[in-house]
Amino acid sequence: MKPEPQRVLYAMAGALGMLTSEVGSAFGQQTSGLSAALSMVLAQEWDRAASRLVEENVAVSGLLERARTLITDELLHARINEVVDRIPATDLRVTALQAENDDLRRLLADVHAAVDGVEGHEPELLNRLIWDELRESTRRRHLVAVR
Amino acid sequence: MEAQLSKYLSERLNCDNAVAIRNLSRIPGGASRETWMFDASWTEDGAEQNAPFVVRKDPPASLVESDRVVEYAFYSAFQGTNVPVPAMRWLESDPEHLGAPFFIMDRISVGETNVRNISEPHYAEAKAMVGRRMFEVLGAIHSFDWRVSEIAGVVQAPAPEMAWSEQVDYWEEMIGRNEISPQPIARAAIRWLRKNPPPPAERIGVVHGDYRVGNFLYSHEGIHGVLDWEMAHLGDPIEDLAWAIHELWHRDLIPREECIDVYQQASGLKVDRDALHWWDVFNGVKAQGIWLTGAKSFNDGRSSELILAYAAYILINGTDEAILRSLGRGA
Repeated sequence: MKPEPQRVLYAMAGALGMLTSEVGSAFGQQTSGLSAALSMVLAQEWDRAASRLVEENVAVSGLLERARTLITDELLHARINEVVDRIPATDLRVTALQAENDDLRRLLADVHAAVDGVEGHEPELLNRLIWDELRESTRRRHLVAVR
Repeated sequence: MEAQLSKYLSERLNCDNAVAIRNLSRIPGGASRETWMFDASWTEDGAEQNAPFVVRKDPPASLVESDRVVEYAFYSAFQGTNVPVPAMRWLESDPEHLGAPFFIMDRISVGETNVRNISEPHYAEAKAMVGRRMFEVLGAIHSFDWRVSEIAGVVQAPAPEMAWSEQVDYWEEMIGRNEISPQPIARAAIRWLRKNPPPPAERIGVVHGDYRVGNFLYSHEGIHGVLDWEMAHLGDPIEDLAWAIHELWHRDLIPREECIDVYQQASGLKVDRDALHWWDVFNGVKAQGIWLTGAKSFNDGRSSELILAYAAYILINGTDEAILRSLGRGA
């Protein structure tokens, strides 16, 4: 049994925070304070990163599935097929999930550009759902205040 | 660095002996350039001389990719005007002296830049005065006749109807070059900006580019120096006004409407509310471009400044939320 990384990072943040007041120079205090803040950020990210990415990748994949039937541009359609058929992969490392997330969100931005402002029930619905997902994506990335 | 500074200044000041450098320390913040302060002393014709200086040194990488010569010219242009700035001393492009190009300016010894202190109780009486002064000074920057200054020789002025598109082009390219991960919210905002252009600039003026609490020296007596001109350019002044009152850093020194009123009186410009909203959306995109540039520098190993990583973790998502709100898409 060993302490979880999250616990270690929070302890590092606390230690660095205490040290900050003992550092003599303003630049040293800033560096120590930033180190403490980043340790707290990383503690939160370490625990939730995989969960956040899986949740978001599923959500964005669903939107791209919906877009498959709407998008008429051949190149964009082919890219949707390629990405949706490839994802999700079985690699659960955060770096692999992030790479999938990047592919999905890059494509989502292009699909958004294709349907934004297009009239009709289905494109307007997809446009609204994409805005909902973008708003939700910021909520998933919220961090507890660190400074 | 003391020895290098001593050698450099000894060759440039009219001194009888080697310049002594004391109290050299790095100034926190300064995410675009390494900023250091120091005191110099020397004797001149037998008389002892002392002067406080600041040196702004190019870093290997930073939050913004800026031009030292342009920044120096903007500082120099405002010297002796009603916009308080530190006096410029030496602009050095040769990296041999300090390991990177730099410039040296006088240090204004009064005031502070701390973004939080202005909201502390001990500033309660002065806060509103500093707030009004902030927008009077901004109006003075925008009323400045740059055509007869150093500025005209270092930057191009956009046509009034192109001021907005030049900025969108620049920051879209910056985001494209530096995004580590895709930015669907910034991309949507850029589409909106292009579909809904603002009216032509009423005036092409100096745009500081980062005018906010934190980038000027203030005290209970007012504002003593406008700093950090690394993003200065010529363009639509409303860009600066919208930046100064942007939700990411507006400190509520005075109410938003009073900011605009004071600014209008000081600048002589009538603020078009649609244009102000357009520049508010734009400034979210611009802020994102700044954080992404820093994040890329850190990720690539060109810089290990922690403030760049901090900005990436904390500010990118907060800026996305601000963009959504400005587009009317917020929660």
